[in-house]
Amino acid sequence: MDSSIETVRLGLAPWSAAESERSISRPLVFVGMSGGVDSSVSAMLLKEHGYKVVGVYMKNWSRDLPGMKCPWAEDLADAKRVAVKLGIDFEVWDFEEAYHEKVVEYMLDEFKKGNTPNPDIMCNQEIKFKLFYEKAMERGADFIATGHYARIIDGKLARAVDENKDQTYFLYRISEDALKHTLFPIGEMTKPEVKKLAEKNGLHNAYKKESMGVCFVGEVGMKDFLKEYIDIKPGEIREIESEKVLGYHEGAIFYTIGQRHGLYLSGVAGETNDGMPYYVVKKDLDKNIVYVSKNLNNENIWTKELVLKDVFIRGDAVHSRHFATNWERVNEEPRNARPLGRELPEANGCDEACREWTVSTRLRHRAPLIQAKFDGKKLIFESEIKRPASGQSAVLYDGEVCLGGGIIA
Amino acid sequence: MIYLDHAAATPVSQKVLQAMKPYFTDDFFNPSAAYLPAKKVAADYETAKGTIAHAIGAKANDLVITGGATEANNLAFTALETELKLHSGPHRSLPSPRGSRAISRAAALRNTPSWSVNSVLYLETEHDSIRAVAQKYSGIAIKVLPNGLVDLKDLKSKITDETILISMSLVNNEIGTIQPLAEVSALVKNIRIDRLKRGIETPIYLHSDASQALNLLDINVARLGVDMMTLNAAKIYGPKGVGALYVSHDVKLQPISVGGGQEQGLRSGTENVPGVIGFAEAVCEAKEHLNGNRKKYANFKKILLSELENYELINKKHSLDNFVVLCYNGIDAERLIYLLEEQNIYVATGAACAASKGKKSHVLKAIGLSDSQIAGSLRLTLGETNSEEQIHEAARIINSVVSSEKERLRNG
Repeated sequence: MDSSIETVRLGLAPWSAAESERSISRPLVFVGMSGGVDSSVSAMLLKEHGYKVVGVYMKNWSRDLPGMKCPWAEDLADAKRVAVKLGIDFEVWDFEEAYHEKVVEYMLDEFKKGNTPNPDIMCNQEIKFKLFYEKAMERGADFIATGHYARIIDGKLARAVDENKDQTYFLYRISEDALKHTLFPIGEMTKPEVKKLAEKNGLHNAYKKESMGVCFVGEVGMKDFLKEYIDIKPGEIREIESEKVLGYHEGAIFYTIGQRHGLYLSGVAGETNDGMPYYVVKKDLDKNIVYVSKNLNNENIWTKELVLKDVFIRGDAVHSRHFATNWERVNEEPRNARPLGRELPEANGCDEACREWTVSTRLRHRAPLIQAKFDGKKLIFESEIKRPASGQSAVLYDGEVCLGGGIIA
Repeated sequence: MIYLDHAAATPVSQKVLQAMKPYFTDDFFNPSAAYLPAKKVAADYETAKGTIAHAIGAKANDLVITGGATEANNLAFTALETELKLHSGPHRSLPSPRGSRAISRAAALRNTPSWSVNSVLYLETEHDSIRAVAQKYSGIAIKVLPNGLVDLKDLKSKITDETILISMSLVNNEIGTIQPLAEVSALVKNIRIDRLKRGIETPIYLHSDASQALNLLDINVARLGVDMMTLNAAKIYGPKGVGALYVSHDVKLQPISVGGGQEQGLRSGTENVPGVIGFAEAVCEAKEHLNGNRKKYANFKKILLSELENYELINKKHSLDNFVVLCYNGIDAERLIYLLEEQNIYVATGAACAASKGKKSHVLKAIGLSDSQIAGSLRLTLGETNSEEQIHEAARIINSVVSSEKERLRNG
């Protein structure tokens, strides 16, 4: 195995291989292995740095729907093959039922409400950093580890070194308790470094194609998946200004505000005679009508404010040195700083200054960071932004540190 | 490379490949076309079918060529559809998916229809291509004895006047057990006579999947007394995606695809000429080497059993010699597969592994193996690619891999 990666850089300092040979009990870590290169290299690094490693494949979804192939078995084989190569124990933990209940049903419910949920965030919150974490702890684990691109700096969740791969957007809701016992071995590395290291060590999946999006939807797409589970009805597409029927849709839930592709309008798809595209600006789920407009300035597309619900502020982060001042101003009573992961208190009795909690925010995975003010409920931007879909998350940062976030109402 | 998974796939032999080649290029014509060169291709195709049929004591017209054994198995079960058609009427209507009340599209997509007829018996150790189609017709599984052979008592107790089809493979694809088909067909014959006596019209057929059998067994459909038999080119050094169903004259099947009316109207679609030419060549070769191969594999098996260490032999009796199924109790055989793969040795397991989509072998379970025995099971299937030298080498490497895995487990 390759030891050239500096221990310190990986945040795995306490146990060098030499040390662990002397010590009686090496720290035990359960690492979630998906079969991809990131979690494989994570397991490899942990082994190399003297941890006692158990690889675990979390079986969350194993159903092939007609015409949709779920590649879980191939992924499991890849994960196990790597575990065998590393000479570590390997187990399959079945979370299928919980995943269905906590992630799939949540997702379907949100779609039914007309929202566009993010199941990956839910999966991290409910499965990987809850059930997996809890089971690992029951089994006597000192840590859990995953192949996420993220870091933990002074106990705080922080963005990965590889800004292009940073996955904290999906991790902002994981419990603080779990984070205390979590290792992200590749958070300090770039993706190309990870691949190179995998290749150098003969891991067969070094250049495996990355899985995109939600695993169980595969490459077929969310729309076909939803059709299997949600009863949908065709309906009208109307121009919002004139109420004129321009075409028909397959089901309002499939449309996202701001969308301009895939509209079945009479004439050229999604365009008018003047060649200007129509955008989805509103959905009336009760009447099953999708409203479109070619007015790019429609208020439903652009906004200076976003209301967040289910706000989750990371207690580990708000105690951060940089942020403390801001937080104290919000709370007035810093000692009682609303601890750990609770919803932000309503900013009652707060003066104007404390509402101006300056953060940078990310509205989509890999989207650029935008400066905003946050008052505990609402994000206020300096200039108008294109409105993200309801149900997606806004994740807040103070520098590299993830402060938490909320779901766009 | 030492390949020990011949029950999964076999390489196309050189002779087979050479025989097929001209039919991809020079003799590419559609056998249905009018001109002479096409007629010659049609004749070659029929001759090839005749060769395959002849090898099992049948005629070209008794064979329906299919796209492999799974399709042939599915075709065999259409005999049930024929019976349902014949008996549909005011008193016995065609079974329809349950719950015919208006259901939504999404709900309909989720539901699989369940049939109300109860007329199929199949051996519990059958391949999935039988089990799945049998379940479509609410089939009932017949038990096997711990030695893998059909439990004839159980079979007899499950046959009723409703029984239309019994499906039982000639050679099991996981443990190589050879079923006493002639004995079963004698039983079926008696039932037929008894039904006639009592004026019961319902027919009873015996179908057998013989995919794994042609390499080492001399098959004759009349001697075995089967009404339908599935053959597979891919397991006998022929091309993949080519199979055949032998169908006796008494059995009436329903088309699995309609169109140009090829294959007696049961499977429309332009004939896979090169595939069938290759299939025929493979059948000839198998016949030719039958006796030599039997001796060869018996010897290989003997070597393995004497040189391997600390195993338990699972298929002790009644099985083909090219199947060696072992158990390493307490060991995860899937790990052995990945360790052996690094040494370029390829084997299979009955364990619940990724390759089986997490399902443990229903065959090993049926013969009474414990979960830990199943988890530690290795299936070695010998074949043409193996030499005696390779067998010694394989035994040595398997021994070393097993002991290194035991070592790892000990050290935690």
